[in-house]
Amino acid sequence: MSIYLLQVINGIGIGMLYFLLAVGLSIVFGLLRFVNFAHGAFYLLGAYFCYQMTRWGLSFWLALVVVPLVVGALGWLTEKLVLRHVYAKPHEFHILVTVGLALAVQELVILQWGPLGDSVAVPDLLQGVVMWGSFVYPKYRLFVIGFTAVLAVGLWWVLEGTRLGSAVRAGSESTEMVSLLGINVFRIFSLVFALGAATAAIAGVLAAPIRGAEPFMGIEALGVAFVVVVVGGMGSFGGALVGGLLIGIVQSVMSTVWPEGARLMIYVAMAAVLLLRPHGLLGRKG
Amino acid sequence: MQRRHLLQLSALAALPASLGLARSAWAQSSGAIQFGCPVPMSGAFAANGKFADLGMKLAIEQYGKALGRPLAYTVLDTEGKPATAVRKVQEASQQQGTRFFAGGILSSESLAMGKEAEKAGGIFITTAGADEITGKDCNPATFRWSVPTFGAIEQTVRPLADALPKAKRWYTITPQYVFGDGLLSAAKNVFKEKGLEHVGNSYHSLTEKEFSGYLTNAMAAKPDVLLLLNFGSQSSDALRQAVSFGMHKNMTILIAWASGLEQFESLGADLCDGIYFGAQYWHTVDAPLNLELVKRSQDKFKSNPNYSLAGSYICTKLLIDGIIKAGTVEPKAVVAALEGMKYAGLTGEEEVRKGDHQVLKNYYLLKGKPKAKMANKDDYVDVVSSGKSFLPVDQTGCKLG
Repeated sequence: MSIYLLQVINGIGIGMLYFLLAVGLSIVFGLLRFVNFAHGAFYLLGAYFCYQMTRWGLSFWLALVVVPLVVGALGWLTEKLVLRHVYAKPHEFHILVTVGLALAVQELVILQWGPLGDSVAVPDLLQGVVMWGSFVYPKYRLFVIGFTAVLAVGLWWVLEGTRLGSAVRAGSESTEMVSLLGINVFRIFSLVFALGAATAAIAGVLAAPIRGAEPFMGIEALGVAFVVVVVGGMGSFGGALVGGLLIGIVQSVMSTVWPEGARLMIYVAMAAVLLLRPHGLLGRKG
Repeated sequence: MQRRHLLQLSALAALPASLGLARSAWAQSSGAIQFGCPVPMSGAFAANGKFADLGMKLAIEQYGKALGRPLAYTVLDTEGKPATAVRKVQEASQQQGTRFFAGGILSSESLAMGKEAEKAGGIFITTAGADEITGKDCNPATFRWSVPTFGAIEQTVRPLADALPKAKRWYTITPQYVFGDGLLSAAKNVFKEKGLEHVGNSYHSLTEKEFSGYLTNAMAAKPDVLLLLNFGSQSSDALRQAVSFGMHKNMTILIAWASGLEQFESLGADLCDGIYFGAQYWHTVDAPLNLELVKRSQDKFKSNPNYSLAGSYICTKLLIDGIIKAGTVEPKAVVAALEGMKYAGLTGEEEVRKGDHQVLKNYYLLKGKPKAKMANKDDYVDVVSSGKSFLPVDQTGCKLG
């Protein structure tokens, strides 16, 4: 099999994880007009809570269900107790508060689990690789692709097919209109923020067996999430998917074409998209 | 109200500054010989910095005094950045009169601090890896304990190639960094000499975490050995992902520059099983000083010394021994005392080579053992071989004059 085809498939695998990382950020920005620099912290917590649960001897599958709920609840609390008070303030305050939160979470993680980083084992069911001819791919990464695809469909259904989803979409166009229509906008904000945190946590749990749990993974994830959201368009679910896949494939293919520049090319791709379509591939104007 | 507010603010502003001073482990008593430990205490390499701090603490507490004067040290957080490191060294030498520095985890910060130490009239001893530190960028103030890239490759690639005569095809994954290139060119020389085929190389950036693309390249080249030339968390990530692709079943994997115990702990025994690692230090080495260090570390920290701790301990000990041998704290005299000094070190007999201030010591090839065969929680590896390999001074590019 041509190496480029292999790299594209690998890129899809990376890209799906990037999508999951970015979708929460995108939705939160779309609705709340809030740039959440603490997004990476939820990803970090997701990975570490998963690590802790496996240390306690609990199964990875249980972690996959429980951790997003726990982190989602933390996100909900954060929004209610901290962020709600700064919505009305200028963007600089949003940045200050969320960056501060991200740093605090990172340091707490280091206090609790140490600065070294730990490995999380791939669940037994998914150990090993799949082989088609010369194509070798870890079963676990295939699972991540499949699971994220299912999750993406689920999220899409929530956004397009439920009342909550339509309130979220309407709210991202005009919050005043939505509240004038009698919908409790603040509750929706909390729910959306919790959803964003939960998806970041799922990304963290899924990434842990691939990359380990490591205190600085939040910052790295945030960088990628922002690139994906900018490429795909702020506030666009579809954009997060397209952006994620594009960035993943670019990174993977570049590691054959120009290996040392693979990471750089992510940002070059972002710059190219910004030049051609300033609102992102699927973003809206305004 | 305004004035009160202002006074309160100034009082609060003074607080973080005083907390900063509290970081130094001992009171700044006059008459004490000041040591500095410039290591990353925040950022991605904070783990190494934390253990380096403990290593220096052990050495300082062990001696307590030298030449009748108490010993004191301060941790200087370099954040892993050369500019910050240089500034902290400057501040320490100007404000506290610190002349003796043992630290530098990253090559970039160590190169910068070495130059600064020379300017400040101090001494800097480091465990960083880039050849230049005792090569073309050597200076009279800088010393290095750890084995540079030439020795690291000679003592891992060569014995492994000898042990696996059928392994002809080698693939390398290299960080795009002065240190990575050092390892790569040393490896290429060994490949050429032994008639091994270098089937490919993938460079990657220093911030990369996703190695699946590079591993896919590697698999396509069908190597017998995958040689990972990155370090720290990147080598851990690359290994973790290589194992997930099942590569450990089709080929031998060698991490030429592993950190040792701290890295094995974060990887876990399952990932280390059957993998070859190159290391500067291992706590089971049967040298008298090492046995002592292990005992001290067990007594004080209830754990075995890892590389960061051991490296910092021996660097600090060297400085103190140099001061005692010179009979003075005057840096030039201490430098002269250190040059050519032969001593019983952590890896056996060690010597500070006069021509380039490089310590001549062993480098180890380790092999991970199955979890079931571990005798205790730190028994991750067996020592396969060890030895001393160093370029002659005239080939290092160092001119100390």
